[in-house]
Amino acid sequence: MTSDVILVIVIGAALAFDFTNGFHDTANVVATSISTGAARPQVAIAAASLLNFAGAFISISVAATVANDVVDAAAITPTIVFAGLIGAIAWNLVTWYFGLPSSSSHALIGGVVGSAVAADGFHVVLAEGLVGKVLIPAIIAPLLAFVAAGISIGIAYRVIGKQRPGIVSRGFKYGQVLSGGMLALAHGTNDAQKTMGIITLALIANGSLGAGADPPFWVIASSAAAIAAGTYSGGWRIIKTTGTRIIKMDAAQGFTSQGAGAAVILASTHFGFPLSTTHVINGGVMGAGAAKRLSAVRWGVAGNIVVAWVLTLPAAAIIGAGTYGVTSIFGSGAVGPVLVTVAALAAILAAFIRRAQRGAPVTVQSG
Amino acid sequence: MPVLAEIVETKELLQTVVFAFVAGVGVTVIFSVGIWGVARFVDLSQEERPAAAGAAAAVAGLALLAVLAAMVIGIVVMTGK
Repeated sequence: MTSDVILVIVIGAALAFDFTNGFHDTANVVATSISTGAARPQVAIAAASLLNFAGAFISISVAATVANDVVDAAAITPTIVFAGLIGAIAWNLVTWYFGLPSSSSHALIGGVVGSAVAADGFHVVLAEGLVGKVLIPAIIAPLLAFVAAGISIGIAYRVIGKQRPGIVSRGFKYGQVLSGGMLALAHGTNDAQKTMGIITLALIANGSLGAGADPPFWVIASSAAAIAAGTYSGGWRIIKTTGTRIIKMDAAQGFTSQGAGAAVILASTHFGFPLSTTHVINGGVMGAGAAKRLSAVRWGVAGNIVVAWVLTLPAAAIIGAGTYGVTSIFGSGAVGPVLVTVAALAAILAAFIRRAQRGAPVTVQSG
Repeated sequence: MPVLAEIVETKELLQTVVFAFVAGVGVTVIFSVGIWGVARFVDLSQEERPAAAGAAAAVAGLALLAVLAAMVIGIVVMTGK
């Protein structure tokens, strides 16, 4: 009974995390289409929401990685998963409050690793999965999007360079309907699967699923719905991000950056690599901008992304470990998770009120 | 670096890099060729050169079909695993 209560809290926290992931990432997914005039904001956000939902159903490779390849599922309890989620949510809240561009995905994995280490020691960390499937792809993927977008836009400008600008611009704007759609689909499939993986890990830890099990359909459907709802409701306040803050782009650059980002995310998802979709999308945007003119890219924003990337995994791990420590003071029952949940909700509410009073930061966030 | 080489799934990582690069660059280049075809079709039609305009339209049509096919294949491959 006690573990069921904790499991319900974990599932609720995981879906809330998924919602906030979609909420923050709306800007990353649709800003390029909106900034080039390829789509109206209402249409772009509604389409992104639907495609995020659909994307969650097309693969479970990343969910399997998160559930089985990062920490030893046999040593995990629902309380460890809960503490890891709180670590991720807390770090996302801190970075959102201070306007730092961070990755929800890295925070989630860092939080779970940190709480698992605090509970059972370093031997529960599966180094092969953590390094080979998370850390190395996390470095390679944004660079790959950068290079692919840069080379693509260079060739594209050569192909269409002497044609009428009006026709070319209209053509790429139509193309952005496709590339933006693929990007939303890719985002849904990689990011929603992280939540599926975490819920599956909690179900395995609770004994509700066997070791190595795939996510049940209700987990897939609820994760898809949470990220889609977050995407739909996240648009308006943080829409001025990727498309305008890193570079001012034309329709060809928008198409190229979206295409490169979607290709990298979909290929990585196919092989089960949980990526920061934010970093990949921004890598594509910077590549498309840098190929035209290096000074077009606001490198300060790029630098902030690198700093946040370096900080996120260890910081979320430390918070996850600390949360597990606090939770375990109250024993192995549901009292600890319930108290931590209440405290976390109070902190989130206070941060929102304070942030609203000061004005929200406009930044690239999450992923 | 043998330890790192054992940890990193080199084959899958390399396949990811190749697939992503080919798809990312390839689709953009083919789509650009499609737009080139449309632009040339408009220009050649105005110059009243129907044969050349038809050829440009065919290039545009084939390129756009190839882009759509690449997207469909990508999704089918994703769902097939």
